[in-house]
Amino acid sequence: MISLRAVSSANGSFRLTDVTLDVPQGEYGVVVGPAGAGKTTLLETIAGVVPLTAGRIVLGGEDVTRTPPEARRLAIVYQHAYLFPHLSVRANVEYGATNAAVVDDLCDRFGVNGLFERSVESLSGGERQLVALARALAHRPEVLLLDEPFSALDPRTRNIARRVLRTLYYERRFTVLHVTHDFAEAGLLGDVAIVIDRGRVVQKGTPEHVFRKPATPYIADFLGAENVFAGHAQPIRSEAPDWVAGTGETMVQQAVAFTTGGLTFYALGDVVPGPAHAVIRAEEISISAEPSMSSVQNQFRGRIVEIVPAGALTKVTIDASGTPIVAAVTARSVRELGLETGREVVAGFKAMAVHLC
Amino acid sequence: METRPARRALVTIVAALLTSLFLLFILGPVVGLVASGGSRGFATFTSDHELRSSLLLTAATATIATLLGILGGTPLAYLLARRAFPGRSVIAALTDLPLVIPHPVAGIALLLVLGRGSTVGGALYQAGLRVAGSTTGIACAMLFVSAPLYVSAAREAFARVDVRLESVARTLGDDAWRAFARVTLPLSARGLTAAAVVMWARAVSEFGAVVILTYNPKVASVLSYDRFTSYGLDEALPVAAVLVVFALIPLVMLRALRVERRFG
Repeated sequence: MISLRAVSSANGSFRLTDVTLDVPQGEYGVVVGPAGAGKTTLLETIAGVVPLTAGRIVLGGEDVTRTPPEARRLAIVYQHAYLFPHLSVRANVEYGATNAAVVDDLCDRFGVNGLFERSVESLSGGERQLVALARALAHRPEVLLLDEPFSALDPRTRNIARRVLRTLYYERRFTVLHVTHDFAEAGLLGDVAIVIDRGRVVQKGTPEHVFRKPATPYIADFLGAENVFAGHAQPIRSEAPDWVAGTGETMVQQAVAFTTGGLTFYALGDVVPGPAHAVIRAEEISISAEPSMSSVQNQFRGRIVEIVPAGALTKVTIDASGTPIVAAVTARSVRELGLETGREVVAGFKAMAVHLC
Repeated sequence: METRPARRALVTIVAALLTSLFLLFILGPVVGLVASGGSRGFATFTSDHELRSSLLLTAATATIATLLGILGGTPLAYLLARRAFPGRSVIAALTDLPLVIPHPVAGIALLLVLGRGSTVGGALYQAGLRVAGSTTGIACAMLFVSAPLYVSAAREAFARVDVRLESVARTLGDDAWRAFARVTLPLSARGLTAAAVVMWARAVSEFGAVVILTYNPKVASVLSYDRFTSYGLDEALPVAAVLVVFALIPLVMLRALRVERRFG
């Protein structure tokens, strides 16, 4: 378990302010945030190599606020590996190892046993990172701190590293805090997501929750939400003519009319009347040739202004009354619907797909 | 269009000329000295007992001063390189102070603190340790003027070792001392050795502070000065030439270290 309470620290120009977070025992926490947000300082503060100025840190149920790094039973892997350049690869992995069998096993798993007698200077960036992961895990940490360990790896090496790490994580169930700027990676690996900006935790929750319901427009933008609209929110009465109240969750939340530019659409939320932001993920927006008769509350006719292939999906931008709406559809849908720039289509999304913040 | 290459050639010629003059200015006197007195110095080396003793004394006191500098200067250099604390820049500036004050002035300052008439010097004398006018005085003078070079170079050597290597070692189970011994020290060893060599070379060549604190027994620089003032240039030349060659030894060692670092 990693538990921070009102932790503040400073490392040069990087500062952490009043950070409170929890990663339950044996779970995988991911920290996302822009460059310079204080992510590495957060890990180094937990590791004890950057001193606290305030707050309390508990690891595995034990208060380690005043415990030196060597007694915290953790390991850290930095983005740049930081292998000891005066030692061989084997000596690096053995550095904090509990026993030789663990070293052999880890080197075998990470595929670095063929590099044993090489100097670290002769390794590629990917090889260094694999050795750094093996070295950290050979120490058998109860808490593993990862600082963007996969960011410099080629796709093949990244897959190997992720797979081996995930297997070891399920076998040993150590607690992980993994810093990344890649939210796809966060979603793939994490149980708990923590968004940090300018040294403060700005949102935490499951990766899906953070992804679907970013707390601020800035987080939405950072997490790659394509449709972030500034506008005006107005709670509406459930008997309003355009609104058909649903059941269950829909009934609990309040219906909101959100106006941005020339559009007004419906959302569900708990907001006070006034300026707000609406976030809609591109995957939540459908495109059709004509308005559908489904339960989709929000449907807007517009003209396609841009079609951009983006991996498995294609992003289609529709100009609806001067407001650009980005939808992500499959290449097959693009073909079947005959989507092309200039064509008039209908963009639709459910009220529940709109997140207000 | 043609003026630019011509101007470039002119600049090159002027730069080459200035560099040659500069090198001549540095090397001329040294080469002249060795050429004039070198052969006689080495020829009389076996028979000139005073010269041999002074060289041995110089080497021994410079070595003691260097060892003391390493003992006291290494922790200070590490602190200055690694830790942020109030007054760090003031301490760094104070450490460099002996480099900028004239060395005879440094000798006078030392004499004031360590002379028999001073509180500290008097107490040491009472305890049986005479500083001024003794081998201890020579080592003290050498330490005072050359230790800043060691601290400064050692600080650079420590600063070149990424602090995150120490952090990794700490998280892998090393306490601060063990991380220093297993990571920082091996990685800064060459820089620390070079720093010690520079300090030793500087101590060997020290004259101003030593001559104030301890004229006798004579280190090589004082002997060369003594022979010059007592017997003239002709007698001073062999001593001076041998001292130059003596001082070349650490410089050659230093170059060897750097070459090894580049190609090793």
